[in-house]
Amino acid sequence: MGILTVLWEKWVEFRRDFYKITLAAMVAPLMYILVFGMGIQTVSHGQPYLNFLIPGVVALTTMNGSFNAIAQNLNVQRLYEKALDQVMISPTPLWQFVIGQIIGGSLRGIYAGVVILFLVLPIGTNLCFNGWSFLIMFLNGAVFATMGVVVSFYAKSHTDVPRFSNYVIMPMAYLCNTFFAAEAIPHGLREIIHYLPLSQASSMIRQIANREAFSFGGIGVLLVYLMLLMLMAFCFLYKKRNL
Amino acid sequence: MIELKNLTKKYEDFVAVKNLNLRIEKGSFFGLLGPNGAGKSTTIGMLSTLYLPTSGEIWIEGERLTRKNTALKRRISVVTQEYSMRQDMTMEEIMEYQGRLYFVPARERREKTQKLLEFCDLFDYRKRTVRKLSGGMKRKLMVCRALLTEPDILLLDEPTAGMDALARRQMWNLLKRLNRNQLTILLTTHYMEEAEILCDRVGLMDCGKLEETDTPKAMIERLGKYAVDRMSGEKMESRFFRTREEAIRFISEGSKDAALRSTTLEDVFLEKAGKHLENR
Repeated sequence: MGILTVLWEKWVEFRRDFYKITLAAMVAPLMYILVFGMGIQTVSHGQPYLNFLIPGVVALTTMNGSFNAIAQNLNVQRLYEKALDQVMISPTPLWQFVIGQIIGGSLRGIYAGVVILFLVLPIGTNLCFNGWSFLIMFLNGAVFATMGVVVSFYAKSHTDVPRFSNYVIMPMAYLCNTFFAAEAIPHGLREIIHYLPLSQASSMIRQIANREAFSFGGIGVLLVYLMLLMLMAFCFLYKKRNL
Repeated sequence: MIELKNLTKKYEDFVAVKNLNLRIEKGSFFGLLGPNGAGKSTTIGMLSTLYLPTSGEIWIEGERLTRKNTALKRRISVVTQEYSMRQDMTMEEIMEYQGRLYFVPARERREKTQKLLEFCDLFDYRKRTVRKLSGGMKRKLMVCRALLTEPDILLLDEPTAGMDALARRQMWNLLKRLNRNQLTILLTTHYMEEAEILCDRVGLMDCGKLEETDTPKAMIERLGKYAVDRMSGEKMESRFFRTREEAIRFISEGSKDAALRSTTLEDVFLEKAGKHLENR
């Protein structure tokens, strides 16, 4: 029930800001595809670079869509509007509130990903996106929506969220198997990057897109991240003495 | 009945509430008064579970209040000091969201929203976003939102701050009527007149401690029902007397420009809290 309340709130927000949300989801990924994929025409792994790039851009768009839908919004609600106080006071179980945010954030991520898929449809890349792709997009979105919840909860000021975005989300967007294969990164760093959630998600989405078998281990990695981040969110809500 | 047992709240080195013990009877209207930083809002914060006490417990009708006790939280509504609302939502959406958070059925939600917004003269503005409302309208909306869930306990943290005189009177009438229907109300306010008119009992807090609790009438009588104001140098001074005769005698004994009036709760507050502040 509490989950539906949060989803209703997200729906109100989505309906009101539909054009803004859609445009924001389109601009950056479209630029990546136009500049890196179509402007600088190269070949990667024996295939047009676009075939490599599109799954990566879909994964990173899902990440950005989910994280941005939650982190900034919740941070403003907590620190500036104090609207989160009303949720804390209410009888809606706080775990349901967090789950609602995660699902809402994931759906926003998927929406951003689907917008990109529609945009690249006329290119005719022959890439495959099926139910597994959407499951991975959802899980990837869930991980980053939860990260958004955690960051917004632990943020001490309004600038903490953009700062986190600059230091964590942006490097991930470029390094995690999105624009180039992680094998090109030097040893040591490569292993760390390999186990980051976006690396796993973009690898899996790319393998499915190229009709290759994908490793279920990647789903396990995403689930581990999801559990850890959820635990941090619940600890904050139930244990923190001053919200 | 609300029972606060040895309630303490510390923020690192600062003790906001010290060992607070208080009983508020069911259906009563209790006012917490005190200067800024006395610990009133922190107490309301702990009662609303927004802040967890450092030590001590809160019991309501024999049940311990915790963040996880959703059944108990369902019975409490809070009007916080700040406008704790999403600025981009309309009044209708704010009410809908509140109803959903408190599991109020859809039909009831709609009917009560209309009734409450009409009662507070807000119905015509229901499609307006919170961002575009005046301070007084936001306050009224917060009260409407709190009443939507038909609580047993209403916690009000300076509910009339920023309201004009007429809106404040309307709010007082509403609160009095709600209290007559057995709603337990805990109010913090800086307006002593408000506490005197509304509250059955008041508690004076200072530096996190509850100094005194009693009825406003008893507190006033203890200080002296009659007050004489006079200028002493550049400072206004008030003297208090148990009887009118004593006060008149004092004036006739040579106090020029003195004025006789009834003692108010503000005098009690200034006598107690003012002296503490001077000693700080």
